[in-house]
Amino acid sequence: MKAQDIFSYSFSAIKLRKLRSGLTTLGVVIGIAAIVALLSITQGLQNTITVQLQTGLATDTLIVSAGGGFFGGQGGINGANSGFTLLINDTQLINGLENVETSIAIIQRVGYIKSDSGQRTATIVGVDFAQYANVYSSTFVAESGTIPLSPPNETVVVGKRVSDPWKNETVLFNPDDTVEIIWTNGTARPPRNETYTGTVNAVLKEVGGFGIGGPSDSSIYISISKAESFFKTDECNQIIVKLVNSEKATIDSVSDAIRTAFNREVSVVSSTAVLNTLSSVFSIIQLFLGGIAAISLLVAGIGIMNIMIVSLMERTREIGILKALGMKGRTVLLVFLCESVIVGLIGALIGTASGWALANVVARIFVAGGGFGFGTQAAQTGALSSTMIAPVLTPTVFLGALVFGIGVSVVFALYPAWRASKLKPVDALRYE
Amino acid sequence: MAVVDAVHLKKTYLLGKVPVNALRGVNLKVEKGDFVAILGPSGSGKSTLLNLIGVLDKPTEGKMLIEGVDVSTLNDNQLTDLRRQIGFVFQFFNLIPRFTARENVELSMAITGLNKAERRKRAENLLETVGLKERMNHKPAELSGGEQQRVAIARALANNPKFLLMDEPTGNIDSKTASEVVSLIKRLNDEKNVTIVMVTHDQRLAGQSKKILQMFDGLIVQEAVN
Repeated sequence: MKAQDIFSYSFSAIKLRKLRSGLTTLGVVIGIAAIVALLSITQGLQNTITVQLQTGLATDTLIVSAGGGFFGGQGGINGANSGFTLLINDTQLINGLENVETSIAIIQRVGYIKSDSGQRTATIVGVDFAQYANVYSSTFVAESGTIPLSPPNETVVVGKRVSDPWKNETVLFNPDDTVEIIWTNGTARPPRNETYTGTVNAVLKEVGGFGIGGPSDSSIYISISKAESFFKTDECNQIIVKLVNSEKATIDSVSDAIRTAFNREVSVVSSTAVLNTLSSVFSIIQLFLGGIAAISLLVAGIGIMNIMIVSLMERTREIGILKALGMKGRTVLLVFLCESVIVGLIGALIGTASGWALANVVARIFVAGGGFGFGTQAAQTGALSSTMIAPVLTPTVFLGALVFGIGVSVVFALYPAWRASKLKPVDALRYE
Repeated sequence: MAVVDAVHLKKTYLLGKVPVNALRGVNLKVEKGDFVAILGPSGSGKSTLLNLIGVLDKPTEGKMLIEGVDVSTLNDNQLTDLRRQIGFVFQFFNLIPRFTARENVELSMAITGLNKAERRKRAENLLETVGLKERMNHKPAELSGGEQQRVAIARALANNPKFLLMDEPTGNIDSKTASEVVSLIKRLNDEKNVTIVMVTHDQRLAGQSKKILQMFDGLIVQEAVN
């Protein structure tokens, strides 16, 4: 029997049972749609975050923080804290190592900035402006005002999202504004607010990402010496190390040297390593979500098998007729498989399309709903709120969905089809 | 050489756990152009014999030769090929309900791999032969029992079979339309020299045949020439 005739025979059988075939197809549609939607959203999210990271990233830097933690935050994720702390003048030790160009200590606390126009939560970052501007020359740049390289103590540099939090030209802080910086000293008994009055010298241009160690839109920057006295500390949260180049060998050797110098009590993270880790985390998330979605496809597959077996029993007599007319067992098998391939193909196509549509709808709702609470620092929530996540449907996911949809249909149809092909004509004809 | 040569056929099958001797040693020869009617009460082994002649089933003992070939030596694929050269006509027509008369006739040619244009032309010719050219685009449900059976006969003739096997062809048709089927069968044998082996209860149809075999309890007990 010619392939085209097998196809049209199968198709006529599907058409005959419209409702049943429709529901079977729906099962595949839902399974495939779930897989495609989840994978393309995750892929989109990964792309967005990677791009944002790279924006605020300098590949020739390392970030040193105390403990075994990953991101040098306020200690929350630093793991077991041995009491070791990084000091501001530890930069001298690091500067003495080979292949290190310079290093910058950073003190940061969560606090408030307040003026007559309003008040915002922000990460207060104390840093040496001249060195910071040197390392992050493309992101630590003023949009309005100027960043003084040897700042007086009252100087404040404000991130774009602190100054213009809603992206609607309602600007809270402008250069030359007098502002109050407030920080709650939790170690004092009783805790009390520390306040000082400063002047905004510059508003940074929008960074867009949330760079690790680099400038962020939701931070405000004060001089390191002011931070020392304001926060009453000589400890720092991070030391950013600028290397002579961004080669892997350099990154590895300096990382090792720093760890050894601090007796392995510090964690050293390179920007590239963070990117790699993030992308492997995303691979796991994708696999996990894809796996969950695959379960629904598995259920759809069992549905197909169920329908095929019912259909087989209903059509036992028909199979008997076909065999009496001289249809080979192999052809009967192909007829049944062809039916499920058609169901799988249609289901996979509709499923991919609706999964893609679903991903776009979900991405839009996410953005409308205020975004993600992502951030390397607690105060950085909202950094992504303005960011559109564009779902990405890679050719691999598209083809994979098609192949998977058809594959599941075929696998679950194999047994019923095989059974049909093995029916004895005389038994099949006698079947009532 | 005989078209069909059955030598001492025995067939035993299990009905539940009870073995039933459906055939107990049947000898039968059908020559080219023969028109054989097999009569007998229910359970006498008529249908079993027909299934064996149509190679839908295999005998427990004895030999079944179709044009000199022993069917017990054939594998499944060869049996299928042989089945394509036998025209089956069933009591309950066994047309595919979703196909029109023409498509039903075409189906048996599609199975053998004939191309679309040829099988369409041939289907139309065959339906003209059985007098249904006007109704060829109707589905079985829109045809009378007699008409459906004539479509089934057209389908059975599609692949130029060595012989036609009919299992009570008028058994499920009212007597009025049955006569059309009876005269069609007679005409096929008379004019086109189609070899026919047929099981029937219909005395009128049996009267048209050339040879009548009477079966009882798994044996051919009487042979008469019309």
